[in-house]
Amino acid sequence: MGTNLTLALLLAPWPSPARGQAAGRLVPYRDSIPKTLVTFELVPVPGGTVTLDSPAGPRVVAVPPFWIGKTEVTWDEYDVWVYRLDVAAGAPGGRDSADATSRPSRPYGAPDRGFGHHGYPALAMTYTAARAYCAWLSARTGRHYALPTDAQWTRALEAGLGADTSLSPERRDALAWHAGNAAHKSHAVASKQADALGTHDLLGNVAEWVTVPDGAPVVRGGSWAEPPARVGPRARAAQTPAWNETDPQFPKSRWWLADAPFVGFRFVLLTP
Amino acid sequence: MTPKHPRDVTRRAFVETAAVATAAIALPLPPAPASIGGAPKKIRIALIGCGGRGTGAVKDCLTSSESIELVALGDLFPDHLAKCRESLATMVTEDPTLKPKIKVKDSQCFVGFDAYRKVLDGNADLVLLATPPAFRARHLAAAIEAGKHVFMEKPVAVDPQGVHAVMASSELAAQKGLALVAGTQRRHDAGYRAAIERIHDGAIGDVVAAEVYWNQGGLWMKPREPSWSDAEWQIRNWLYFTWLSGDHMVEQHIHNLDVANWAFGAHPVKAIGVGGRQQRTDPAYGHIFDHFAVEFEYPNGARLRSMCRQMDGTAQRVGERFVGTRGTSDGHSVIEGATPWSWDPQAPKANPYVQEHADLIASIRAGRPLNEGRQVAESTLTAIMGREAAYTGQEVTWDELLSCQQDLVPTELQFGPMPVPPVAMPGQTILARSWRSA
Repeated sequence: MGTNLTLALLLAPWPSPARGQAAGRLVPYRDSIPKTLVTFELVPVPGGTVTLDSPAGPRVVAVPPFWIGKTEVTWDEYDVWVYRLDVAAGAPGGRDSADATSRPSRPYGAPDRGFGHHGYPALAMTYTAARAYCAWLSARTGRHYALPTDAQWTRALEAGLGADTSLSPERRDALAWHAGNAAHKSHAVASKQADALGTHDLLGNVAEWVTVPDGAPVVRGGSWAEPPARVGPRARAAQTPAWNETDPQFPKSRWWLADAPFVGFRFVLLTP
Repeated sequence: MTPKHPRDVTRRAFVETAAVATAAIALPLPPAPASIGGAPKKIRIALIGCGGRGTGAVKDCLTSSESIELVALGDLFPDHLAKCRESLATMVTEDPTLKPKIKVKDSQCFVGFDAYRKVLDGNADLVLLATPPAFRARHLAAAIEAGKHVFMEKPVAVDPQGVHAVMASSELAAQKGLALVAGTQRRHDAGYRAAIERIHDGAIGDVVAAEVYWNQGGLWMKPREPSWSDAEWQIRNWLYFTWLSGDHMVEQHIHNLDVANWAFGAHPVKAIGVGGRQQRTDPAYGHIFDHFAVEFEYPNGARLRSMCRQMDGTAQRVGERFVGTRGTSDGHSVIEGATPWSWDPQAPKANPYVQEHADLIASIRAGRPLNEGRQVAESTLTAIMGREAAYTGQEVTWDELLSCQQDLVPTELQFGPMPVPPVAMPGQTILARSWRSA
C-alpha cells in the first residue's frame, strides 16, 4: 500500500495547477487529489445549445461553457476515495476510523472484474456513489466538481464530434469500445482516439452517469457491453433491477452494482 | 456423446469420484407435484442470523418458489433483529407481492444465544442458517435433530471438530429425508454448471493443475464501543477472529476451493502454504491473517495453487483456472484448447442466489431432498487445511487434520471477558489448539 501514500506525503503539496485560463482563453486544466500523486485532466467545452428529447418533444437548452474530464474517472482516482488512500494509516481519525457517511462500503470481491485496474475506468458504482465521489473531491480540492447534466454531456459530445455527428462503423471503432471490438471487457481510458475537444471514451468503454433535471439519472454513450448500434450520441439508459440482481445482501448496496460492470462516470467543473 | 479422448486409469478414477460427489445434486428435478388446489403445499421458513446476507437469503427464498412463507426470526442481537424487520418492511414496499409471504409475529422473533432453539421449537419446515460460521455446526445439528430442512451459508465450520459435526448432521439429514443446501451458489450457477460438466466430460482432457484466487481489498470493521464486552466486540467483528469466521481463507476463499474440488471430483490430501498479516495489523482487526498462498495436492498428484488476500491498494482477482492435457478453462465461461466453448454473455442466466433456493424447494417438493452437506463440509475442511498449513508452517494432511484435536469455539458462550488468541506464528503454532487453553 505504502508507496503512493508515502511519496505523496513527502512531495505534498502538489504545485498549483494552471487555472484553466490563459490570456482570456479557456485551456485544458490539470488538478490533483490532495495528499496523493493522483492527477487528472479536464478540457474546456465552449458554450452552445443542445436539443434534448423530452416528453413534450424536442427541447433546446443553452449550455454555458464548462470543463469536462478528459477521461472517465479511473480506479487510480476512485481507489483513493474507497480505500482512504489519502489518509495516513494509523493517523488519529485515520484509515481505521469509521467514516461511513462520506465513503462507500468496502467492495466484496474484485470490483474491477479482472478487466484491468491502473488506468482503467472505475466501474459498477451507483449514481449515489458517483455523486458522493464528486462531493468528496470538491471538499478535498475546494473546487466544485459535479456529475455532468444530460445537457452538458450532450454538449461535450457534440462539440467533440463536430458538425457531423453521424458514426460510420470505422469512425465508431476509432472512437469507442463496444461489444464488437472490446472482447467482453472495459479498456484503459484514452486507448481510443480523442475527439476534436480532446476527450476520450464519451462513447463506449463505460456508460457514464449524468443527472437529468426532474428525472431519474441515466447513463449515456453506451458501453463495452453493448452492440455497436447501441453505442452512440443517443444512447441513454436508466438503471434496472438487473443491474444489481445478484447482490446477495438486503438491503442491497447503496454504493456498488453487482451486475453493472459497464457503468462509470466522469465529472464537470464550472469554474476552475 | 462420443468419447473425446482416451480415458486412462487416473482419469476414470476421478470421473467415478466426481460422480459420487455430484450425485447428490443431480439436477434438473422434475416439476413439483401440484396439490389438489393447484398450488404446492406451503413451506414455512425461518431465519437464524438476521444480518444483511440472512435477510437477502429470505428474499431469495421467498422469490424462488411458490407458496413459501416466512414465520420466524432469531438473532443474537436485538438491534440486528430490529434492523432485519425494518428491512423486511422495505422489501414489501419494493415488491408488494411479498406481503402475503411475510407473516412474522412478534411472538416468533427471538434474541439471545438460545434464539435458535426457540426458532427451532416453532412450526417452520425449513430454516435458513446465516449466522457467523462459528455457530453453524451446532445450529445445524439442532435443526436436523428438530426435523427441519436446512439452507446454510458457507463456510459450515471453522475447525475440524465442526466439520465432523456437519458430516454427522448431513448423514442424519439423509436418514431423516431432510434437505440440506449450502450457500456455495456457484454450484447452482448455470455458467459454472455448464463448464464443469464439460470438464468432467473431458473437454480439457485430464485436469493436471489448477489455480484459484480471491484477492481483494479489506472489508468492514466496527470500531469497539465502550459498552461492548470482549465477546460482544468479537462477535460483532466476527470476520477478524478465527474461532468465528475461520479466517478469510475459510470464510471467503472457500467459494473458489469448492469449485476446484467440484472440478477435480475429489478433495485434496495435503497442503503446504505461507501467509501472514502485514497491512491489517491493528488490534481492531483481531488476529487473522491478511494473505495466504497455499499449494494443495489431490489424490492423483495434481496440484492446486491457491492465493487469497484482503489488502487495500493491491491487485484484485477472484476466480479459478483449470489446466488440462487438452485445454484450459476458467470454470464458468470459457474453454480453450481442443474443444473450445464459451458461455454466451447475452444468454439469460438465473440469479444463482435465487436458483439455490429454487433447487432446494423443488427437491423437497419432489420428495428427493438435495443433500450438499458432505460436499460443503469437505470444501470447508479444504480451506481449513490451507489455513492450517500457513498458520503452522507445516505440511498438513487431510487425515491428520481430521484426527487432530482442534476446537476453537467455546462450548458455552456468553457476553463477558474473552482474550484474543495470538496471531498464528509458523513454526510455533500447532494444529491441536483449543479455546480451553486460550
